[in-house]
Amino acid sequence: MADLDATYAAFAAEHGLESLSGFAAGPLTPLLVEAGNGTLGPAVRGGLPGGVSGIAGHLAYTRNATFRFSVALTELPGTTEFAPRLFCVRRGRRTRDDEFYGFEARHSKLWTESAALNERYAVSTSPFQDPNWLRQLFSPAFVDWLATEPPADFSFELAYGALLGSIEEDRPDAAGLRALCEATSHVAERIRKECEE
Amino acid sequence: MQVNRVGIVLMAFFVLIGLAMVVAPIPGEAGWILKSIGVIWFAVAGGLYLFARGQKRKAAHQDWVFQNGIRGRATVVKAGSSATVNEMPLMKLRLDLDVPGQDRRRVSRRQVMPVFVALRMEPGIVLPVYVNPQDPDDLVLVW
Repeated sequence: MADLDATYAAFAAEHGLESLSGFAAGPLTPLLVEAGNGTLGPAVRGGLPGGVSGIAGHLAYTRNATFRFSVALTELPGTTEFAPRLFCVRRGRRTRDDEFYGFEARHSKLWTESAALNERYAVSTSPFQDPNWLRQLFSPAFVDWLATEPPADFSFELAYGALLGSIEEDRPDAAGLRALCEATSHVAERIRKECEE
Repeated sequence: MQVNRVGIVLMAFFVLIGLAMVVAPIPGEAGWILKSIGVIWFAVAGGLYLFARGQKRKAAHQDWVFQNGIRGRATVVKAGSSATVNEMPLMKLRLDLDVPGQDRRRVSRRQVMPVFVALRMEPGIVLPVYVNPQDPDDLVLVW
């Protein structure tokens, strides 16, 4: 834990961020819900590498086993009316179990139009998400970037105006945190641009 | 709501066990009791099947409204829940609808939602909505 604190403190100093011992993000995205009240600790706040303002921190929770993530959280106001929910989760990552006694709310569908994207991620949305908006968001350039550029274990969740990028690093170094923040910023910028259009 | 794999297994389980009870070669009163229980298990499976079929029909209608409806905006005015269905909150939503070609109006909806989504349904949130062109009260909320 001391190493983790030192890594975040150094990261904060390097990028002029505010160091926080803990931050309760709240149940903003499914991953944060898994962690109870979404408490990050340690955490840093301010203008993250890549350009967005937000919070980066360490998220850990225990469900049979202990799961640890490094996450970057930012707000994207105005996205909900275009895409209430958009989850782009690395294939193989375990998130949550949605089986409910045989009957469940019809709450998500997989976006499978891009083979390149599907090789690396499971992309899910509301079952009534506008497919044209998704096609425009996932432009060939953005799909190519998602498939090749972010850290190998990168995933993102956009939910009701909150964007959470995450990697499955339990002891990230400064370069890993910077890559996470830059990838999250890139996704945020792409989504923001598409909403503006 | 939609049936999932667990639901299909449950229905098959009730049918098979019910069938086994009905055809079991047990004589006398015990046999009749067992057959009666088997019939009840059949009835449960039948009820589940009818419910699943109704939900499938409803889902097909929602898909039609989504594909053919008029797209608008729904602003959540009030959200709350006092009941759950299979551990998922049954949300009562009050919404202000802004649909092109229609007057702004306030409607109420009841919707079963996963816990995570229910936690995010707060006043002020704006969601897409699709309204049946032939029936303004028939709408699909994108949550």
